[in-house]
Amino acid sequence: MPFNSIPSKEFLDREDELNSLKRHIELRRDSMAGNVLLEGGRGVGKSELLKQLYRTTFWEDKGPAPFYYSFRTASLKGSFFVRDYFSRFICQYLAFLKREPFGAGSSNIPINRLLPQFAGLGAAWMIDIIDEFEEHLAGGDFYGTMLAAISAPVAAARISGRQVLVMLDDFNLSTRIYEANPGDTLGLTTLFEESMKDNLCPHIITGSPAGALGTIFSDASLCRQAERMRLGPLPQNMAQQLFGACLNKLEIACSDEAAGRIVGLLGGNPLYIRNLAKAAWKMHKKDMTEKDVLDCYAYEVCSGETAFYWSSVLNGMIADIRDHRDNVKLLMQCTDKGACRDFRRIAGLAGISEAKVVRLMQELSRNGLTDCGDAVFRDFVRCLFMKEIEGKKEQEIPGIISSGYSTADRTSCFEMSIPMKENAELVAAGAVEQICRNIDLDDEILNAVQIALIECCINAMEHSGSPDGKLLLKFLTSPEALVITIESSGRYFSLDELPEIPAEENMRSQRKRGWGFRLIRKTMDDVKVERAGDRTRVILTKKIARKDGASR
Amino acid sequence: MKSTRFSVSSRLVGDIAVIYPSGYLNNLAGKSLIEECGLHTANGIKKLVLNLRDTGFINSIGISMLLNIIEDLKKVDGRLCFTEMSRTHTDTFDMLGLTPHIVVFTTEDEALQFLKETPGPEPKDRDEN
Repeated sequence: MPFNSIPSKEFLDREDELNSLKRHIELRRDSMAGNVLLEGGRGVGKSELLKQLYRTTFWEDKGPAPFYYSFRTASLKGSFFVRDYFSRFICQYLAFLKREPFGAGSSNIPINRLLPQFAGLGAAWMIDIIDEFEEHLAGGDFYGTMLAAISAPVAAARISGRQVLVMLDDFNLSTRIYEANPGDTLGLTTLFEESMKDNLCPHIITGSPAGALGTIFSDASLCRQAERMRLGPLPQNMAQQLFGACLNKLEIACSDEAAGRIVGLLGGNPLYIRNLAKAAWKMHKKDMTEKDVLDCYAYEVCSGETAFYWSSVLNGMIADIRDHRDNVKLLMQCTDKGACRDFRRIAGLAGISEAKVVRLMQELSRNGLTDCGDAVFRDFVRCLFMKEIEGKKEQEIPGIISSGYSTADRTSCFEMSIPMKENAELVAAGAVEQICRNIDLDDEILNAVQIALIECCINAMEHSGSPDGKLLLKFLTSPEALVITIESSGRYFSLDELPEIPAEENMRSQRKRGWGFRLIRKTMDDVKVERAGDRTRVILTKKIARKDGASR
Repeated sequence: MKSTRFSVSSRLVGDIAVIYPSGYLNNLAGKSLIEECGLHTANGIKKLVLNLRDTGFINSIGISMLLNIIEDLKKVDGRLCFTEMSRTHTDTFDMLGLTPHIVVFTTEDEALQFLKETPGPEPKDRDEN
């Protein structure tokens, strides 16, 4: 339904793409542009972009008449497809002429009933187009009916002189249109090509996965002349804003801090973000903590709308339902271990014949599922695997998924003791290097942490006068920060006793010392000194920022 | 970052001594480095290049030692250039506000060329890269 779109104020960060598409339609009228192939990952917002374009075009007086058609797996039988395609075009064209958006969603009204309305709107020529279609249909002429349906928009444009903007969503499915049984009629997609060449009928075509549209045309010039537009994910800040807006509408509160990590996991995918917000509503959340967001996420990938979406994608691509379990096993292999081309090994691990592995992997790969770097899809596959292959109880699975992301489980603590001896601080520096590598910190942060740690150790060695001659070190890693505690017995000191002397002044002094805590303060985000009994604790904190700016 | 046991070597290029400190530059290592520089200045060499390509961490005491070498050279109208500093080295000097007080070249050849062409006392508070 083209008008079944989200309110334009909630359609974030796509203004450039929307304006570019509008401009493209104008240029096409003057033969200065081709069609547009709109590509992008599943759920990234291609359909929504088309619907927003439809809505704005619909209300423009001098713009083209918009026609939106979404290919669906259930509508690929030729006889059903032609009726569906044709009647949707007729209803949408009539709605456009009447400026009645509700009519654009109709498709099951007998077309004959609409004829008088066309006549009344000065578009009696549409009756001829309908008659031609009905004649082919009545005569059982499959190809003739297909062609009449597909060429109806261009015929209307030529007669009326008004452009018809054709938006074909999930056009890659058109390769699977069949006459009686799936696979019995190849090449029906070519029937669209003639219409696509007409400047009065600009086409915007979407398809997934990326590259799916590149090989779809038999006439290579169509592909060469088309403009490829790649719709990317929303940046983290926009993703967060969208999630906040959706929750706000549902009267649910959630701070950016609580949502940040999980929203980051959604990879800027608007479908996932909206589904997560809806899950919060379904789960009766009001003031969400990070754990609540995580619970909603686990629900979504196990049994929410996101799980339903991916189930539909999987079921849509499977020719034989009996292959479902084997597909789940193979997807688990791919998402868990990365795309693997050693089919013999996969066959052994999954308990499937090698020939079948090759066949199924080709199909999964063609659908872009074998090397899908999507964390949500990976968790969805894990859920399926636990449920259908491992036989785990459904109620156990969300807990297993969420435990993988729980902050508590992502915290590690390391403790060590070093003697106050020459170069012992380098042992501490070596240890923290490995700890930083374990949590994937970059070298710049690692070096800063090492410098601060070395300075703290040598400060304690030089000034504490520790009777036991030992330093106790504790390293605590969490997704948010690395906290290092350096503890020694002996003399206490306070940071207030260590004023920062300007570099020039220090250079003029005799000893030129006192750089240590200056380095520590510069390299760490927080430095504290505590007294615990007869022991002194220096606590160094380095916050961990993810590359996209969110807290880890 | 390398953290091997400290050693120091040097070579003469005309009237310039190139010093190669290797490993972790702390107090003891700093003393060895001062001694090595002192050997050259005692022989009338007043131009030094400190090549830090094999130097690991430089701790705050090591920094003090380097500043002492610069100070000692100033007293005899000599000059010192740093070369092949790692990102960590330059960051350390930057954080301490010492970068304007040292002369840094990316390569040893650049440092040698500079010292060959510009005789005379090292000016105060230079900022050359």
